[in-house]
Amino acid sequence: MSRARTLLVWGIAAVIGAALAAPAAARQEYYDYIRKTSGRPIDCAMCHVNPSGPEGHDAGQIGSLTPEQLEQLKHARAAFDPGQEVHNPTLNAFGNHILQVVGRQRFLDLRSDPARLATELGAISDLDGDGIPDSREYRDGTHPLKPRSGDPGLLLLTNLRRGSLELALILLATVLGLYGLSHLMRGIVAARPAGPPAH
Amino acid sequence: MRVGSWLGRVGRAVVARFPTEKMNVRDLVGAKEVPAHRMSWAYYLGGLAIFFFLIQVVTGLMLLFYYKPTVSDAYLSVEYLTDAVPGGALIRNLHAWASSAMIGTVFLHLLTTFGMKAFIKPREITWLSGVVLLLVTLGFGFTGYLLPWNQIAVNATKVGLQSVEELRAYLPAAVAEWPRVLRETFQGEASIGQATLSRFFALHVVVLPVIVALLLGVHLLSVQLHGMSQGVDKPTGRAERFFPFFLMKDFTVWGIAFIVLFVLALALPFDAFTAYPLLEPFNALGATPDGIKPEWYFLFMYYPLQLVPFWVVFVVMNVIVLALAFAPWLFRRTSRKMLSVLAAVAIVYIVGISIFGHQIYMLFKGHPL
Repeated sequence: MSRARTLLVWGIAAVIGAALAAPAAARQEYYDYIRKTSGRPIDCAMCHVNPSGPEGHDAGQIGSLTPEQLEQLKHARAAFDPGQEVHNPTLNAFGNHILQVVGRQRFLDLRSDPARLATELGAISDLDGDGIPDSREYRDGTHPLKPRSGDPGLLLLTNLRRGSLELALILLATVLGLYGLSHLMRGIVAARPAGPPAH
Repeated sequence: MRVGSWLGRVGRAVVARFPTEKMNVRDLVGAKEVPAHRMSWAYYLGGLAIFFFLIQVVTGLMLLFYYKPTVSDAYLSVEYLTDAVPGGALIRNLHAWASSAMIGTVFLHLLTTFGMKAFIKPREITWLSGVVLLLVTLGFGFTGYLLPWNQIAVNATKVGLQSVEELRAYLPAAVAEWPRVLRETFQGEASIGQATLSRFFALHVVVLPVIVALLLGVHLLSVQLHGMSQGVDKPTGRAERFFPFFLMKDFTVWGIAFIVLFVLALALPFDAFTAYPLLEPFNALGATPDGIKPEWYFLFMYYPLQLVPFWVVFVVMNVIVLALAFAPWLFRRTSRKMLSVLAAVAIVYIVGISIFGHQIYMLFKGHPL
C-alpha cells in the first residue's frame, strides 16, 4: 500500500514536472523559427513577462510568484482548449493571447510547424495598436506589445495615414513661415541704402 | 629663436585670416556673393548641418526636462518620456533622426569641400575648424548613444571604450598605460556604471555643445570673411548675392529638410531599426545580447575592426585624420579632379560599408558577426 502511494506521488510529480517543462521545450521551436525567418535577434520577452523566460526567481518568473499567482498559473496550464480566458502571470498579454486563441494543446502541437501559428492567430488582433497585426509581428520577430517595434515600412505607412492632419499643418506652417521670411528679407533690402548692384 | 620665428609666422597668418577691416555687416553679409556653377548645391550643406544642429539643441533641451542621468532612472525616464509625455515620442524621434542627419550632412559637407579644394589659402582655418567639428559631431553621437541606458547603448559603448585599451599592445612601455588611463577617465570607474553615465551626460549636454559653439563661431566668421571658394576649375563668372537671395534659398532648403525630418519623426520610430531585445533595460548580470553594433556612422570603422588587425585600422584612421587636418598644405598642388575622385571614393566606401558591411563581413569570414 505504502509502495503504491509512493509510486502515485512520483507519478503525480512526473506529470507536474512534464507540464512545467513542456512550455520550455515549446519555446525553442518557436524561437528558432522566428530567428530563422526574421533574421532578427529575439528573446523570451516576446511572450513572457521576463526576457529570460519563466524559470527563475526574478520578477515575472515562477520562483517569484505569490500563491495566488501560482493558482492562476495552474489554471492557465490547464486551459488546453481555445477560447478560454487565460491569465498566466509569467506570460505577457501576447503570450496569454496566443493561449486564448489557439489553446494550450494546439500551441504544443504546433511546435512541429511554428509557421502555422501565425495563420491561426489571424490578421485582426493588434495588441499594441501600431497597425501591424500580431501574427505579422510574430513572423517578423518584432514585439507585438511595443508600438515602436515593427516592420519600418509598415509603421511608416500606418503612421503617415494617422498623422496626415499634423503633416498638413506642419507643411502649411513651414510654407507660410518661409513666405513671411522672404518678405521680411526683401523688406530689409528695400529699406537699406543702395548697395552694390545685384547680379 | 627658430621656434619663435615660426610662431610669429603662424600668428601673423592667423591675424591675416581675420581682417578686422572686413568685420562689418556690409562686408560680412551685404557684399558677399556666392558663385553659381554645377557644384553650387554643395554650398547649402554647411547651412543644413547648422540647421540640424539647431534642431538638436532645441529638442535636446526639451528632452532634458524629463531625462534623468542615473543608471536606475535613465531607461525609465526615456520610456516615460516616449510613452506618456504628450509629444515626447515626436521630440525624441526628431532628436534621433536629426542626429543622424547632422552627422551625414557634416560628412558630406567635409567631403564636397575637400573635392572642391575649398581648403586652400586663405581658408585653412575654416577647413581646420570644420575637421574638428566633424570629430566633435562624432563625439556627440558616441556620448549620446549611451544615455538611454539600454542593452545596445551600454554594450556598444563598452566595446567602444575597450577598443581604446587595445592600443596598449602596440605602444612602447613608457606610454603603454595611457590608453587605460584614457579609458578610465571617460569611464570614471572600473566598469561602465553611474560615473560613466554622468561623464557622458556632461560631455553630451555641456562640454561638446560649448566646443561646437566656439568652433562654429570661428568657422562661420571665417566663411563670411573669405566668402565661398570658387569650387570649380573653370568659374562660370556668374554669382548671386548672399543676402537676400542665397540666404532665402538656404532657408527654403531648411524648410524642406524640416518637413522631411518631421515626417520621419512622426511616422517612423528610430527604434524600429533595432531589434527589441537590444532596447530592453541594461542588465549588468546578463549575457551580452546578440546583434550589438554601433550606430551607422561608426560602421565605417566597426567592420574593418572585425576584419583586419586593430593596429591596421588605427594607423589608417589616424593617417586619414592627419591628412584631412593638413590638407591645405598636403594637397595644395593636387588637382580638383583628383580631389573629387578621392572624395567620391570616400563617399562610396562610407555608404557601401554602412549598407553592405554585414554581407562584406560574411564574404570574408564565412559566418555572421
